[in-house]
Amino acid sequence: MVEKNAPAVRLGRGFWIVTAVLAILAIASIVFWYVAPIYRWMHLPVAIATAKQVDQLSRFMLATGSALYIFVVGYIVYFAIAFRVRKSDPPDAIGIQIHDNHKLEFWWTVIPAAFVVLLSVLSIKIWYEITLAPSNGLVVEAIGHKWYYTFRYPQVNGEITNAMHLPIGVPVTLNLTSADVIHSFWVPAMRLKNDMVPGLVTQIHFTPTRIGTYQIICTQFCGIDHSLMHQQRFVIDSQANYQKWYHAWQVKNAKVSNALPSTSGASVNLAAGDVAAGKALFAQKCTACHAMAPFTTVKYGPGLLDVLHDPTHPNLVNGQPANPADAAAILEKGYTGTMGSMPNAVTNGLSSQDIANLVAYLNSMK
Amino acid sequence: MAVASITQGGHDSHGEIDQLYIETRELRLQGFLLFLVSDCVLFSSFIFAYLYLRNSGQGWPPAGINRLDVAFAAVNSVVLFGSGATMHYALENWKHGNFMKFAWMLIFTIVLGVGFLCGQGYEYTNLIFHDHVSWWGSGIFGASFFTLTGMHGFHVFVGVCYLTVLLLQSAGGVYTKDKYFGLTAGTLYWHFVDVIWVVLFSIFYLL
Amino acid sequence: MAIAAAPHGGGIADHIHPEPQSFVRRYVFSIDHKIIGIQYIITGFVFFVLAGLLAETIRIQLMHANGGFVSPQTYNEVYSIHGSTMVWLVVIPLLTGGFGNLVFPLQIGARDVAFPWLNMLSYWIFPIAGLMLFSSFLMGAPTAGWTEYPPISLEGQAGTSMWAAAIFLVGVSSTLTGINFVVTIMKMRAPGMTFTRMPLFCWGQFATAPLLMIATTALAAALAALFMERQFGVPFFDPTKGGSPVLWQHMFWFYSHPAVYIMILPAFGIVSEVLPTFSRKPIFGYKLIAFSSMAIALAGFMVWAHHMFTSGLAPYLQLPFMVITFVIAVPTGIKIFSWTATLWGGKIHYTTAMLFAMGFLVLFTLGGITGIFLAAIPFDLHLHGTYFVVAHFHYVLVGGSLMGIFSGMYYWFPKMSGRLLSEKLGKWHFWLFFIGFNGTFLPMHWLGLEGMPRWVSTYDPQFQFWNQFASISSFVMTAGILLFFANILYSIRFGKVAGANPWGARTLEWQIPSPPHYYNFKHIPTVYGLPYDFSQPLPYRGLEDELNDTPPPVAAGAH
Repeated sequence: MVEKNAPAVRLGRGFWIVTAVLAILAIASIVFWYVAPIYRWMHLPVAIATAKQVDQLSRFMLATGSALYIFVVGYIVYFAIAFRVRKSDPPDAIGIQIHDNHKLEFWWTVIPAAFVVLLSVLSIKIWYEITLAPSNGLVVEAIGHKWYYTFRYPQVNGEITNAMHLPIGVPVTLNLTSADVIHSFWVPAMRLKNDMVPGLVTQIHFTPTRIGTYQIICTQFCGIDHSLMHQQRFVIDSQANYQKWYHAWQVKNAKVSNALPSTSGASVNLAAGDVAAGKALFAQKCTACHAMAPFTTVKYGPGLLDVLHDPTHPNLVNGQPANPADAAAILEKGYTGTMGSMPNAVTNGLSSQDIANLVAYLNSMK
Repeated sequence: MAVASITQGGHDSHGEIDQLYIETRELRLQGFLLFLVSDCVLFSSFIFAYLYLRNSGQGWPPAGINRLDVAFAAVNSVVLFGSGATMHYALENWKHGNFMKFAWMLIFTIVLGVGFLCGQGYEYTNLIFHDHVSWWGSGIFGASFFTLTGMHGFHVFVGVCYLTVLLLQSAGGVYTKDKYFGLTAGTLYWHFVDVIWVVLFSIFYLL
Repeated sequence: MAIAAAPHGGGIADHIHPEPQSFVRRYVFSIDHKIIGIQYIITGFVFFVLAGLLAETIRIQLMHANGGFVSPQTYNEVYSIHGSTMVWLVVIPLLTGGFGNLVFPLQIGARDVAFPWLNMLSYWIFPIAGLMLFSSFLMGAPTAGWTEYPPISLEGQAGTSMWAAAIFLVGVSSTLTGINFVVTIMKMRAPGMTFTRMPLFCWGQFATAPLLMIATTALAAALAALFMERQFGVPFFDPTKGGSPVLWQHMFWFYSHPAVYIMILPAFGIVSEVLPTFSRKPIFGYKLIAFSSMAIALAGFMVWAHHMFTSGLAPYLQLPFMVITFVIAVPTGIKIFSWTATLWGGKIHYTTAMLFAMGFLVLFTLGGITGIFLAAIPFDLHLHGTYFVVAHFHYVLVGGSLMGIFSGMYYWFPKMSGRLLSEKLGKWHFWLFFIGFNGTFLPMHWLGLEGMPRWVSTYDPQFQFWNQFASISSFVMTAGILLFFANILYSIRFGKVAGANPWGARTLEWQIPSPPHYYNFKHIPTVYGLPYDFSQPLPYRGLEDELNDTPPPVAAGAH
């Protein structure tokens, strides 16, 4: 057990008593973390299915972590007391001169390594379920702004809202992006967050399991009022209530979209389009989702390099022939379909002149 | 102390300085190599940035930008690699005591280095005034191309100045047949600049 | 003259420059590694005071849920500069430039570092860069934290560019120091000082120096790109021009994760010296501690994206980063267990240095455990960017690195100055600091779990109680630190004279006078074994003349 030439090591009775006490404390702490309603103390409900599993992982890590910590600190304190230099010791007293113990070192390498494997397996399993994309369900877009969130239901004609409602029990895919700087979308009750990065669409998937109103918090510094970006809430509702809300909202938005010009290109004077202004506007408004690259270069929407001059794509995504007037129509009314969805001109903040400029720019790119 | 070293090493009366020189050279060589390693990391970081941006789904080269002229850059690369070869022979000649040949080879190296810089200048002029590509106004293409090749060009420029200093120093008798660490460092640096260019040429012109 | 100084007579070891006599060459533009180390330590602690004032500003602001002590804008500037200062101007310079310079050339039996002039240059870049960093307050300091993520940092005030330039310069200084230290350890060890006989503090520096040299350059690239983008509009990170904000995170964390190890490996080294000395026992598992430092340094390059689990990386890319991060727990655990085992069977002397080293064990272990928590992606998706993270990294950086620095100060102050720090004041310092620290940062764990995000100047009133608790505790911690400075100022004049070896320590630096002579050793010693076995005679030969009045060696080869 001990290396040759090293003094014999004899662990005294005190050591084993302390070890037993620490073991009892460690077991107590494991039990504590498994039975304690810690998230009730934390005022955090469990809003989605995977949140429970994250809590299970947290309990596992808190339990094993605190057991380990109790042993390390317990031994440090015990050694500090038991092996302190005493008044009776001669001034040149030395400790027991052992250099190492291969058996001990072997075990305290192997046991943590095994623990690491176990923790990896547990984490990967839960990670897999968190990132698993549902094959169907509701798709909602969340957009971070300074300093609030907006939401868009692609099916509702591209309108935005500040209040997200979700039905219980239906899988949700949330597409996250940002209109300005990096924000973060954190719902503590979901134990889930992701950054909202401008120019990038990231996704989170979850299935709501509890009716209630939940806080959304931004955890990436996003400017002077970042501190206030925790006041917005969203609602998880029963399916019936959700349908009621959804219809009411649809009706309201139908009026809004009817107020938009109905004939394509009618209200837009395409001849007045300015290529340079369109280019600047494109960089500012469109590049989050579209690349100035061939059609197949999909960022979020398709590439728009030769959208009006591509012989392999004679039609636009809405099935209309690729001409400036139809491009203007898409810019005005937005689009929802197989290629995803794009907000309308009101949401994007585009005036008629802006549309004309953009179309002129797109038309100039071949 | 002097007595000890003579009895130990059996050197002549200059033995002490020679041992000092040998050890100092070792330190400097290692220090210089480590400097090149960290310089290499600087390039690698920007190369990573370039490849990352290039593959961020916007197509390459980006819209409105032509592919770079491979033929001209290839000729220019040959000029730079040629200077690497002449630098190699310069040092070999020094080691064998052919000081005149060394001087000529070093002068060739410097001339080729300047030639490479001129070629790069020509390419830049073409890009900027003919193709209207600029460092800041052409998106990530201009940013990564001018930053990386500019950094490399700056290294070549520093190298040319350094080699010129080495030429003057060797003419002035700073180095001897056995003590020429400055020349070794200059050669290493010049080869380093060559190797970086191999990578940059591959990723900008060939990829 | 009985002993040959080195196998190669007449080499660098015998080449002694005459001691400079003018004040400027001796104490200002000195090329002596010991003076440069002390310069680093003094400058580092000056910045520490400034960063501490900023920290107290933060804590006073957070006394109340609605803030109100400073404006949100000022508050954002304050925490950004607090973090940048602590990382780049306090912890890294103190541990590498400071203790590294001061101690390890003595421990390996060298007369100086490999490139003394370069060392002087490294030092002098550092205060200049520090002044630049603080001057950014005059033009509007950066507000996006020490990480300065674009695009918010692209729109930041003018001082953000100054910040980038200042950190770039500190990086240059670090890189040069790294090169210098690697060459010194590789080439300038005393005869017989093989790698497996090197004291563990040297191993700490030897693991750190390549990180300084390699990782810092990657940061330099990121900062240069940020600077160019801000000043000249060269697009790298701005998504509206085709750049990528996530690119910055990659480049930044490729440096900043190794930087975490730059900040802790030397502290590991300090603790590995202090624990055996005051336990009167060999360090337990010398080889495993040494090699695990190297393993940590190497693995440190492969885990940077664990800071980016929420940044929108492809999920399959995240997994290897999580697993490798978990794996780092193994060598770290080995160290902690070995230090604990070092205490067993010892004769423990409770000096202040020892208290800080044991405090280090207790606090760093907690920070390490929460680090494993945060490496698990599901847990990180919940707690990334919250006060839990703030608690975690303060436990490893203050509870780890800073406790290590204090331990090193109490341990090596006699070697620097020739006088002992007051143990009585020291113990007050330790207990106030230890209690205040836990009071400040322990509650942040549950603040994060309850949902308090980072970087905020005001917060939900439900968090107010524990924030007030933390603020009041931070005053206790500050009181401890004030006692430390008082202790230094008092002891440097009135402290007990230390003598060569007040601790009964066995590494080389304690076998020569305090403070050491300009030339360090009269004769370079020959080393026969590890320093840590207290039952054996010291494993050195050639030190007989160090503590008597024999004249110093002749200054040879004076230019």
